[in-house]
Amino acid sequence: MMNYLRIFLFVLVQALVVSRIQLFDGLVLPFIYIFSLLMFPFDTPRWLLLLIGFFTGILMDLFTGPPGLHTSACLLLTFLQPLVQNMLAPREGYDSNLKPTIYKMGLAWYTTYAGILTFAHHTWLIFFEFLRWDKFFFQLFHILLSSIATLLLMILAQLLISPNKKSS
Amino acid sequence: MGNLLALLQRFHVLLLFLVLQVFSMIVLFSENNFHRKEFIRHSSDFAGYIYEKRDEFTSYLRLAEINDQLAIENAALRSLLPENYLSSDTATFKAQGVRQQYTYTPAKVVNATVSRKRNYLTLNKGYSEGISIEMGVIANGSIVGIVSSVSKNYSIVMPVLHTKFQGSVKMKGTGEFGILEWPGGDPLFAFVKEIPKHVYVNVGDTVVTTGFSSHFPEGMLIGSVEALEDKPEENFHRIKVKLATDYRKVAWVQVVKNLQKMEIDSLQQQQISADGGLE
Repeated sequence: MMNYLRIFLFVLVQALVVSRIQLFDGLVLPFIYIFSLLMFPFDTPRWLLLLIGFFTGILMDLFTGPPGLHTSACLLLTFLQPLVQNMLAPREGYDSNLKPTIYKMGLAWYTTYAGILTFAHHTWLIFFEFLRWDKFFFQLFHILLSSIATLLLMILAQLLISPNKKSS
Repeated sequence: MGNLLALLQRFHVLLLFLVLQVFSMIVLFSENNFHRKEFIRHSSDFAGYIYEKRDEFTSYLRLAEINDQLAIENAALRSLLPENYLSSDTATFKAQGVRQQYTYTPAKVVNATVSRKRNYLTLNKGYSEGISIEMGVIANGSIVGIVSSVSKNYSIVMPVLHTKFQGSVKMKGTGEFGILEWPGGDPLFAFVKEIPKHVYVNVGDTVVTTGFSSHFPEGMLIGSVEALEDKPEENFHRIKVKLATDYRKVAWVQVVKNLQKMEIDSLQQQQISADGGLE
């Protein structure tokens, strides 16, 4: 249940707060709302994850045009997510009902996992928004810097949501 | 049949992905799709409400700046009052013969983007306040954009900062006509095209609206010439214009209603159909 509520929460945070951050004339624009998709447990069925991504994208498109843009990027993300998880799986596989968090999987694992997916999502999103190549390096910078900003925000959100219980 | 089912079973995730992806691509790339327009119309009501709630909090932080803008505009308007002018016979004559063409509705900007390729503004007034699509939007006497969709209580404005925006403009000094476009990127600058190279254009010249498009009154400020970025192989200037409106700060706007628009449009339509369509 919390997984679904988190979708609404992060879409609102994206639309009302994060999208207002326009560092360096929009060169750095993080899309933190995909954080809630990356938090779904490892054993979520792939078709369900796709549908969740589809509706999250529609929800985000309600706030920022053009319609279809975030939907398409979220579909790619939720399609790739299980593939990346399999790629990074430990030898004995994942425990059932386990969530991909820093606390459970470690910082290095999470950074790789979230980094690959964030970069894929941002590349798709920004490419289909601009649809031109004459400002190739600007776009490449835009994708890279925005991905790094998103990743940092996601690690921060992880630390806030699930504080490290070992230390207490 | 069994094989087909087995195949579907095996590739159902890929299939679902492709079907949904094709659907969203169709929505993304079909400009005049009915469902797309309905989506935008409904979403602007929903998102507009939430943006307005946010604006109720955040606008307090900008009150000083908004006050300044309003004070400047008040002063400009006060200077237009009739008692500021010498009365003469011609003034009374003009007042009698005058027909009002434009009326203005104030509206508040509740959301604005500047950093994307296709930017939009959300205003807190919709068709219940008489706003309809194709109306012009101005702020402090300079142009902002054109209303592109309306819902009951909100409207979406396509600003100059949108790659599909095109406006007819003229150089204030020479009266030469051109087309205003924004290629994306810097939200402070746009380009004027289609002014031939034999026309002299100086840095600092003022660019204003023509009044042809019936969105805006004639002579509304657009900006000033920042630089000429001509290319030798082209016969027209590429004029870089610094926009008068700072889209990152615009808070209050006025929606322009052209009272004669219906009459002008129907007359033009009549003439076009009498000639057997546009060439």
